[in-house]
Amino acid sequence: MWYSVANDKIYDMSVDFVGLRLANPVFLASGTCGYGDELSDFLDMNALGGFVTKSITLKPRKGNPTPRIVETSSGMLNAIGLANVGLDCFVEEKLPMIEGLSTAVFVNVAGETIDDYVAVVERLAGEKGISGFELNISCPNVKHGGITFGTDPAQIEEITRAVKAASGDKPLMVKLTPAVTDIAVSAQAAVNGGADALSLVNTFTAMVIDIEDQRPVLANRTGGLSGPAIKPMAVYLVNRVFQAVGGQVPIMGLGGIATASDAVEFMIAGATTIAVGTATFAQPDCAMAIIEGIGQYCRKKGVSNIKEIVGCLQ
Amino acid sequence: MAKSCTRRRRGSATGLVVSNAAIRPRFYRLQLRIQGSGSALFAQTQPGQFAELQVSSLSVPPADQIPDGLADVAQRQIILRRPFSYCDIEVENADSVRLDFLYCVLGAGTVRMTTLKEGDPVSILGPLGNGFSVPEGKKAAVLVAGGMGAPPMQHLARSLSENHGDIALTVIAGARDAESIPFATEPDGKDDAIIEEFAPFAGEQIVTTDDGSFGRKGFVTVHLENWLTGAKYRPSEIVIFSCGPEAMLAEVAKVAEKHNVDCQVSMERMMACGIGLCQSCAVDVKQAGSKGAVYKLCCKDGPVFDSKDVVFGGKRQNI
Ligand SMILES: Cc1cc2nc3c(=O)[nH]c(=O)nc-3n(C[C@H](O)[C@H](O)[C@H](O)COP(=O)(O)OP(=O)(O)OC[C@H]3O[C@@H](n4cnc5c(N)ncnc54)[C@H](O)[C@@H]3O)c2cc1C
Ligand SMILES: Cc1cc2nc3c(=O)[nH]c(=O)nc-3n(C[C@H](O)[C@H](O)[C@H](O)COP(=O)(O)O)c2cc1C
Ligand code: FES
Repeated sequence: MWYSVANDKIYDMSVDFVGLRLANPVFLASGTCGYGDELSDFLDMNALGGFVTKSITLKPRKGNPTPRIVETSSGMLNAIGLANVGLDCFVEEKLPMIEGLSTAVFVNVAGETIDDYVAVVERLAGEKGISGFELNISCPNVKHGGITFGTDPAQIEEITRAVKAASGDKPLMVKLTPAVTDIAVSAQAAVNGGADALSLVNTFTAMVIDIEDQRPVLANRTGGLSGPAIKPMAVYLVNRVFQAVGGQVPIMGLGGIATASDAVEFMIAGATTIAVGTATFAQPDCAMAIIEGIGQYCRKKGVSNIKEIVGCLQ
Repeated sequence: MAKSCTRRRRGSATGLVVSNAAIRPRFYRLQLRIQGSGSALFAQTQPGQFAELQVSSLSVPPADQIPDGLADVAQRQIILRRPFSYCDIEVENADSVRLDFLYCVLGAGTVRMTTLKEGDPVSILGPLGNGFSVPEGKKAAVLVAGGMGAPPMQHLARSLSENHGDIALTVIAGARDAESIPFATEPDGKDDAIIEEFAPFAGEQIVTTDDGSFGRKGFVTVHLENWLTGAKYRPSEIVIFSCGPEAMLAEVAKVAEKHNVDCQVSMERMMACGIGLCQSCAVDVKQAGSKGAVYKLCCKDGPVFDSKDVVFGGKRQNI
């Protein structure tokens, strides 16, 4: 368990999340920490609350042509296209390493059809090393599946129910897209389908144009915007969802978190856990500084248990 | 705890600027020194590997010091690191290593880098990726550098001369024009023009510019073809190492294949992380035993690839 010790007082940083006792509320976001294997040169994965793997699909995916990313002011666009090793390779090559970790590991699952999602989750539901699943119905960069599920409340409920039935006793977190008129409706649909938690947000669809070529920079033309540029929008959406369904399921908040105060904002807005995405690219051990900084915030505010600040927005 | 007890291959460290000098209006040579425990990791750097430098917190220089045409992009609030090849490395002692980079001022990040002064700290990730390797049985190496592809070639030339003294070294370096050669050469337009940085290592140098404003006129690939045709070595005894724009690498690969000579190319891609997390830096690579191709990561599997494996860029540039 992670305690922050300051001025002889001990602050409890641990959180309960979907039935798991986590050392602290800080996760790394899907698609920004691989399968947990690449980052160990830069930080101790076990010091995290947990991490979410890159999306796994039934079959390996090559992803989109390059350029797949472009930087923009205070953010970046990506159109990776869910490039991943596929279920079989994940089980063979990545899972053994994951089993050796003590931190919580959520496997992010994506697909083109409901059957795809169910097949991946069924195969992994019995694996000891996996703490739970994150359902990616919010990827803006693929032609089929992804965000098309995530923008229709009826489909959100249907896919959540089907995947929940396949996930055995493992918790299911549903990752919401901000590309809807009212995210509270999506949130309620996922809860109705049986979601144990919600994570938000995924990226915002965006475009960067090369003004010399007069063409989009990304080969996919559009991409998902992430990084500090989206943070205030994400904080608002987390609070919106917290007000709507916060009494029913916990929330993992993410979108542009780069500092401890960013993380604390999300928690005040209603997130029980938070995830660091794009910021890890700039500073691979950024999550460590965030954990430390949250502890310092608690000390300053006289908070003895981190849970006290979740959803405390006045 | 993880059961990992393998030695770290890479890591992060803080380098202190030794110098950051303009060698030409748009080209700078940056020297960083890493001291203490982090230095051992960087001392192992192989030619062709690269580093990710954190430059987002540096200030934008005053307007009159921003090169023409970049005033606009210089203002962009950047967050990502920038990848650079090492152009030289000196292990000063067990506790200190000096890393040299050559950079071209192109945009928001590199404009900020021009403000670095002696003693400034720079956060660096490295050594990253896989560098060049010398296959068995080679007697001659041809280093083909195009434009800003030259920096890693300097490191490679030194390393080859120190560790493979029996291999004859030829450098074929080219650029669009005299101004675009990333070294402090005096334009003289002669056929026997050389680049000082390669002189201690290379037995032979062929320096070219597309417009003939320095060295010989013409593309490096034409000179490579001529060199191979007249070479006194068997094809199996030669290896080509190349770095430069992708279109040039594609031509070098063709020439190498035609002459049945081994060839390694250093590729570039837009990189968000440089350490295998984001999947942004895909390079199309042929799959053994099948017609299809797979994407490999430039930052992790590369940046150096066997030229026979790479499916070079299609209609548009990848970066
Ligand atoms: C493995 C590797 C090694 C490199 N080694 C060197 C080196 O030794 N010296 C050097 O000057 N440059 C090198 N580069 C390119 C260097 O990373 C870019 O020039 C730099 O990131 C531009 O940053 P910027 O903020 O100034 O420009 P931006 O404002 O980000 O972009 C300006 C221009 O630079 C191009 N660019 C941006 N990022 C890259 C990139 N990752 N690769 C290639 N072009 C890019 C863009 O297409 C654009 O045209 C290397 C790139 C890679 C991937
Ligand atoms: C390069 C990149 C790849 C991503 N890949 C995935 C993915 O495979 N699955 C997923 O659910 N989200 C993916 N995301 C979205 C992030 O998990 C996160 O929701 C988003 O980036 C917002 O957080 P941030 O601003 O902190 O990065 C990706 C983001 C980036 C930048
Ligand atoms: S740059 Fe992120 S995986 Fe290569």
